[in-house]
Amino acid sequence: MIITYPHMGEAYIAVKGIFDNLGIKSIIAPFTTEDTLRLGSRESPECVCLPFKITLGNYIKSIEAGADTIVITGSCGPCRFGYYGPLQKQILQDMGYDVDFIIIDPPKENPLDFLHNIKKLSNGKTSKAIKSIYDAYKVCIEIDKLNEIQYYVRPRTKNKSIINNIMYNFKREVLDAHGTKEIIEVIKATGNKLLSIPIDKNTKPLKIGIIGEIYTIIEPFSNLNVEERLGNMGAEIHRSMTIKHWAENNLIMPATGRKGYKMEKRLSNPYIPVLIGGHTQQCIGHAINYANLNYDGLVQIYPMTCMPEIVSRTILSQIEKDYNIPILYLIVDEQVGEAGYQTRLEAFVDYLRERKYNHKLSEKF
Amino acid sequence: MKRIGIPRGLYYYKYYPFAKIFLTELGAEVVLSPETNKEILDIGSKYCIDDACLPVKVYHGHVYFLKDKVDYVLIPRFTSISAKEYICPKFGGLPEMVRYSIPMNSPIIDIEINLYKNKFNLYKSLFSLGNMLGANPIQIKKAINKAFKTHYVYKKDLLNGNLPAVLIENKKPVKIKTKSIVGIVSHPYLLYDSFINMNLLKKLSGRCIKYITPEMIDSQIIDNLCNELEKRIFWSSSKELIGSALYMMNINRIEGILLLTSFACGIDSLSLELIIRIANKIYNKPIMMLTLDEHTGEANFNTRLEAFMDLVERRQNLDNNLSPYGRGIYCSERNIR
Repeated sequence: MIITYPHMGEAYIAVKGIFDNLGIKSIIAPFTTEDTLRLGSRESPECVCLPFKITLGNYIKSIEAGADTIVITGSCGPCRFGYYGPLQKQILQDMGYDVDFIIIDPPKENPLDFLHNIKKLSNGKTSKAIKSIYDAYKVCIEIDKLNEIQYYVRPRTKNKSIINNIMYNFKREVLDAHGTKEIIEVIKATGNKLLSIPIDKNTKPLKIGIIGEIYTIIEPFSNLNVEERLGNMGAEIHRSMTIKHWAENNLIMPATGRKGYKMEKRLSNPYIPVLIGGHTQQCIGHAINYANLNYDGLVQIYPMTCMPEIVSRTILSQIEKDYNIPILYLIVDEQVGEAGYQTRLEAFVDYLRERKYNHKLSEKF
Repeated sequence: MKRIGIPRGLYYYKYYPFAKIFLTELGAEVVLSPETNKEILDIGSKYCIDDACLPVKVYHGHVYFLKDKVDYVLIPRFTSISAKEYICPKFGGLPEMVRYSIPMNSPIIDIEINLYKNKFNLYKSLFSLGNMLGANPIQIKKAINKAFKTHYVYKKDLLNGNLPAVLIENKKPVKIKTKSIVGIVSHPYLLYDSFINMNLLKKLSGRCIKYITPEMIDSQIIDNLCNELEKRIFWSSSKELIGSALYMMNINRIEGILLLTSFACGIDSLSLELIIRIANKIYNKPIMMLTLDEHTGEANFNTRLEAFMDLVERRQNLDNNLSPYGRGIYCSERNIR
């Protein structure tokens, strides 16, 4: 059994840690490129959302590299993600690939299935599996810290290419590291390297929050590196949802008897009182949270035809008025041309800068 | 007497008789928006956000028509209409989508219909709506019972092959000499809105083709067929489509299947793909997918539909001539999966 799993931003680091700790052979899908997307979208349904296409491409690439078992999480919520697994399995079988899917549905759906899957994945060492999941959570915490350092340093330093260089080396080193312990060391060392870059502490960059659909804001390929682009334009960004954030609210908190997403639900309640699927409540909650923290602007990113985010977008237009915060809506799909995207981001950043400047002037007089 | 507006869109075709009886029993007047026309579609797509699907845009148009003519507009929040199943996130967020897109004076009644866990929620919502109309609990209970009765009668009528247009709007049923039968797999809000689907049903009747819709298939059969699938389907709208398509594939008399969807329908993008992939393996008769959007030019649509109908007729003629042992040569009786 050679296991593989789709990419979602930095998730591969944590998942690699789990399988390394358990001593299970796994293949990390080659990093997502245009070719991956092309392979995936050729076989995907026409109107399906972007994550479906990219993950399908990931599977094809890893199967060609020798994987025979695909592990993904599932869900039974109203979002389309829950039915990715069965349909992708069907598509891969129709393409002639003989692969096994292990879909880990939430335990409340079918507790026996859940335990069975975990047992199957961990070769019977269930308790060790749970421990390594917790270790992987620690990796996620470190990744978040690393990202936050990057968000802080990038707009404040003059030489942006040093950061790119360090992050590129980081990707290589982390693939060579074995087990969660080594991975955490690599992440910490990279963080220190980033901190040693000379920065200008007096600059006050724009603050931009990134909200939207969880996959497209975490996976840099799908949003055409929006974090890097905004950082290079001199904006300090913050990403509302991360792998750690997801794991904390969906695994750690329910396992210890607490309810996840408390802050988001409280803030979004006046606008959308019930769960309608996807991350609508979280998107709205974070938007309000950022507005309260005096962010200069927000960017909402979601794949075309994403059902929950279409609802959040209509509500965000009201939040824009109520909280007086500009929001840029970016809908991503198969397009990989960067120019249009770059222009819009530049215009948005220019607008925010001008707005902030005018605001300061009016405060002075 | 309070005037309550009901937009003629989305699940109007499923739950209008229920809503009408319930509201009129409690002394409210029900105001319907007109049948969908060009104007409603234009206004809807003007106010609705651009990447929503066609039925949601049309719904916005209907609400816009009603907005200042009534005291309240009834836009229920359909979270779930059967146990452990959702419908679509857009149905759940419908009141919000309308509220923040259309400037309205009449307040929205956004009671939540949520049968995900149990039926208790539905009663709670109906009682709160009744309270709002100033009725006492006994009256409300009576109205609920009567509404449920009507609903079951309506559902049974649909099952027997009647169309909502005949049952709700008292239009005369079209009587035709049936040459062949095709199955149409689609959501009720596309299938029964003759403006959106460019008079599809009339065009089929014009060629003496009878049709079977998902509403004409027993929900028990649909449940059983869907249980054979690998993973349970957790959208009731999608389950209806997949189950009825599987049923139609197994019936010999049905000469072809027409899949009707709207552009950017999230749930159809997966469920119709699943149907087509299953059909590729086990189904040997014509199957065609038609996608609807805001376009109103009928020529392309007609060409495709005519080609499909020609195919159905031609195959049937061939089929009748060449029957080796009492069964059509195109019939398929292999198991699903």
